[in-house]
Amino acid sequence: MTVTHHPNLTTLIAFSAGTLDEPYAAVIATHLAMSEAGRKTVRQINTIGGALLSAEPDAAMADGALDRLLDAAGDEPLQTPPAPDHALPAPLASYLPGGLESVRWKWTGPGVAVADLPVQRRSPSRLMLLRVGAGRRVPEHSHGGHELTLIIKGAYKDRFGVFAAGDIADHDEDVEHQPIAEDGEDCICMVAVDAPLNFRSRLIRTLQPLFGM
Amino acid sequence: MYAGSMSDIDFGQPAAPPPDSDPTELLRRVAEWRDKAALAGLFGLFAPKIKSMMLKLGASDALAEDLVQETLLTVWRKAQLYSPQRGAPSTWIFTIARNLRIDQLRRQSNRPYEDLEKLELASDLPLGSMLIEQSQIIARVTTALEALPSEQREVVRLSFIHDLAHSEIAEKIGIPLGTVKSRLRLAYDRLRPMLEDLQ
Repeated sequence: MTVTHHPNLTTLIAFSAGTLDEPYAAVIATHLAMSEAGRKTVRQINTIGGALLSAEPDAAMADGALDRLLDAAGDEPLQTPPAPDHALPAPLASYLPGGLESVRWKWTGPGVAVADLPVQRRSPSRLMLLRVGAGRRVPEHSHGGHELTLIIKGAYKDRFGVFAAGDIADHDEDVEHQPIAEDGEDCICMVAVDAPLNFRSRLIRTLQPLFGM
Repeated sequence: MYAGSMSDIDFGQPAAPPPDSDPTELLRRVAEWRDKAALAGLFGLFAPKIKSMMLKLGASDALAEDLVQETLLTVWRKAQLYSPQRGAPSTWIFTIARNLRIDQLRRQSNRPYEDLEKLELASDLPLGSMLIEQSQIIARVTTALEALPSEQREVVRLSFIHDLAHSEIAEKIGIPLGTVKSRLRLAYDRLRPMLEDLQ
């Protein structure tokens, strides 16, 4: 898989530091599962954390802390996690144990459906799947916040180019775009948003509460 | 374990540290031999630093001690996931401590990180030989971090050590979010030449 659209560097820095809200971290982790180049960049950024940790001053440990560790470290065999056996990238699969076939889509407009993925706690941001029928368009919209969209399957085109599986669109709030799914197959995306999307047309805006977008 | 790897490059560094203080060697002994003396060696090197980091995040002394224990127990249990070609021990241990602080200090899900870790293990990408020791990469990055302009160093530290989101950093120091991001990008541009030896 050749990824041509990568996340913003600052998004990967926040992922590495661990400060992204879960929906964004889930989208980035899934993207990284699909992009060796992305994993390499994150390994490089992680080195900042490693260097900062190694430069931390030493805090005094409690008496007996080492004995406590050695007592707790049993002789159990090393954990070897099972190899991923899912058709989906592992980070997405953990949110979708039944696979894509199990998704309960919610119709939100002609050719467009969404499904929320459960995140751990109530947060201002939201994780969802978006399905755009082959050749259909997502209504033109801008963002009230940070929108991260990863293509899982199929492809779409907007004024930034063609986005295919593994590609990520990392849009700050000042972006307007109108993705159109490429012909041939439905385009399924994993999306993190931290604010409702703002649709430009007044009709769509009126319908927005119904769509739940 | 990388004897000879430095033969054709001279960075003017001192000779390799003795085995008891070389974290790569200690991790290898933990992974291959379940060597508790090596685990104790890693404790000596990293426990006080992990504790210091957790205390900066507002953890009580008791909680910081618990998080140190959990971090090193994870090291003990997952030592075979560490790949010396892909980063320094301190980098790997940082990511373990980070995952714990997300889960236990911020009470958010670290599931995406755990899932990614399994994937890295399954990756069959062939690794080339290292041109430079990980410990030297860490030393060079540490030096470069100290040499950053203070306003860039500040945002890097607030992000990686103080666990603040970019929007929280903007609020804390009273600058626009875009400025936080541009400072992080500038800082990374200065560090990038030292990171390109990593695979």
